[in-house]
Amino acid sequence: MSQLFHEAIIISILASTLRIMTPLLFSSMGELVIQRSGIWNMGVEGTMLTGAFAAYLVATLSGSLWLAVIAAVLAGILMGAIIAFMTAVLRVDHFIAGLGLNLLAGGFTLYWFQSYIRGRAQPTFSGFEDVDIPLLSDIPFIGPILFSQRALTYLALLAVPAIWFLLYRSRHGLELRCLGENPKALDVKGLSVTARQFAAVTFGSAMTGLGGGFLMLGFSDRFLADFTAGRGWIVVVALIAGNWKPKGVFIAVAAFALLEALATHLQVLGAKVPHQLLLSLPYIASIGLLMGLRLRPGQPARLGVPYTRE
Amino acid sequence: MIQFERRTETSGVWTTISFAVASLAGLAATAVLLASTGADVLQVFGALVKGAVGSPKALATTLVKATPLILTGLATVVAFRAQIWSIGQEGQVFAGAMGGYLGAQLLAGLPALLFFPGVLAFGIAGGMAVAWLSALLRNRFGVNEIISTVMLNYLAVYLLSWLLQGGPWGETGGTISYHQSPMLPDAAFLPALMGSSRLHAGVLLPFLAAAICALVMARTPLGFEIRGLGYNPEALRHKGVNIGRTVTLIMLSSGALAALAGAIELFGVTHRLRADNLIGLGYAGIIVGMIGGLSAWGTVLAGLFFGALASGAVYMRVLGDVPAALVPAIQGITLFLFLCAGVLARYRIVRVVVQ
Repeated sequence: MSQLFHEAIIISILASTLRIMTPLLFSSMGELVIQRSGIWNMGVEGTMLTGAFAAYLVATLSGSLWLAVIAAVLAGILMGAIIAFMTAVLRVDHFIAGLGLNLLAGGFTLYWFQSYIRGRAQPTFSGFEDVDIPLLSDIPFIGPILFSQRALTYLALLAVPAIWFLLYRSRHGLELRCLGENPKALDVKGLSVTARQFAAVTFGSAMTGLGGGFLMLGFSDRFLADFTAGRGWIVVVALIAGNWKPKGVFIAVAAFALLEALATHLQVLGAKVPHQLLLSLPYIASIGLLMGLRLRPGQPARLGVPYTRE
Repeated sequence: MIQFERRTETSGVWTTISFAVASLAGLAATAVLLASTGADVLQVFGALVKGAVGSPKALATTLVKATPLILTGLATVVAFRAQIWSIGQEGQVFAGAMGGYLGAQLLAGLPALLFFPGVLAFGIAGGMAVAWLSALLRNRFGVNEIISTVMLNYLAVYLLSWLLQGGPWGETGGTISYHQSPMLPDAAFLPALMGSSRLHAGVLLPFLAAAICALVMARTPLGFEIRGLGYNPEALRHKGVNIGRTVTLIMLSSGALAALAGAIELFGVTHRLRADNLIGLGYAGIIVGMIGGLSAWGTVLAGLFFGALASGAVYMRVLGDVPAALVPAIQGITLFLFLCAGVLARYRIVRVVVQ
């Protein structure tokens, strides 16, 4: 255990925390846009899973990681369009629609995956590598943590202020927040609630799909059943814990990532704890976190309530 | 111009048409899915039907496969009718199998008439314990039950993984670890209904459970409260019903039903504790319950249908090389189409004369 406090280990833990944060940041910022528009999307897990699978498929077929990133985004958009159609157009209960999407995505990806690898060794790819930023990555301690990461990690970190700007400093953001708080106000001005929610959900799901894609391309070399392993649900918890604000969500995601990084390092260092217990930590932490969060002042007032004129 | 207009009351004919169209669309979507991977569509459909109902053995397999689906489906019905979105069935199935296995250790040697009710009760208690946790988290701490049940599902899966791999229940002695417990003694196998067939006595329980569910829903105060909680919790509160206690009761009933599915799988099918037979039963139950229209007998029908599909898929895999995941894919499509049909059934198509 005392090895945990060596400088090299601390650097490694913090660097992997940032890496683990990357897919969660993309997905949670996307989900933030969706939930601020009033749609309580529970389909994050299925959207991330589909993004990850699309990335795997394209990466192994084309050999191009950037094409795979695009595929993950497109898969996210497709999933978002389905969720938006169910919730914003048909006004199905949001929980049911999200749940249905997760089950649909789980079945489809597994079927296509099993068909894809049928009768042969599973194709693999080599994922993204670290990009050393010249000079900055040579700074002791901070350099290897902050400036020797995957390129998409920097984009994910930029996504936080970008989404903040979108939500609080743009006209689109004002409308978006209004969708979640008081959609009638938009409706009486003759602005379409359905169209705006549809746009918000597909945009957010594109980011969620990108998160799933990075999970594949930045961490792994192959797809597996239940590849996302509950990370979509961690994103949902992070939104509640972060009180539906970009900064809060960022902190919640960082805490989850730090926990996972600690757990994997403890495992590698051979801690005398069952690895299943270490793997369970994020889920235990989620329950613990939600127990302490009875008050949710930042929750959009109309979150999860399908909008109708009557 | 043709427009959709919301119906004031439901029409039986129109509802039937909506769901018939959804079923046909599901069939078409399955064909497209199969074609997308280059499978011979007609051959696969033929194999599915033959493997589902083509022989007495196929029918027996259908019943065995339908058993856990109907039970987890009923677990969904009980909770969802009250608009409690518990998706903890998956973890409760695992807890049911674990509880049952623990019971089998403790009650070994008892006569069958005491042993089987005893171990099933242990299994049910396991599922109820998990369900009670979610109910407590909701009532005391305001934790949304969807999220708490998902997290508890993962915890149950990891708990079983630890028990079988590193923990006390793993099979030892072999050179390879299969992540499973040793075989239960023959006395712990649920008796077969017909000679030496695989049709175990547990296949009767889902029908009994459905009858009880239907009766409780329609005729008892608890059933009234379940439906009331779904329609109008405020009115229920004014009537003096203790909402927290009702929520706990509903979640416990739901957990008991899902856990029974896990215990029956253990004593009737696998005869040893292992994860791969249990994975997905809970999530499939959500689909079965919802496609069954959240009614007890509808769930029995949907469970039999998906049981037949699973049985057909076993046969199909022996014949050809279509992946096993065809079953969850079809379940997912059907659920989505039925959700759409449910919306469609609430509307009427009217012609509007544009002036």
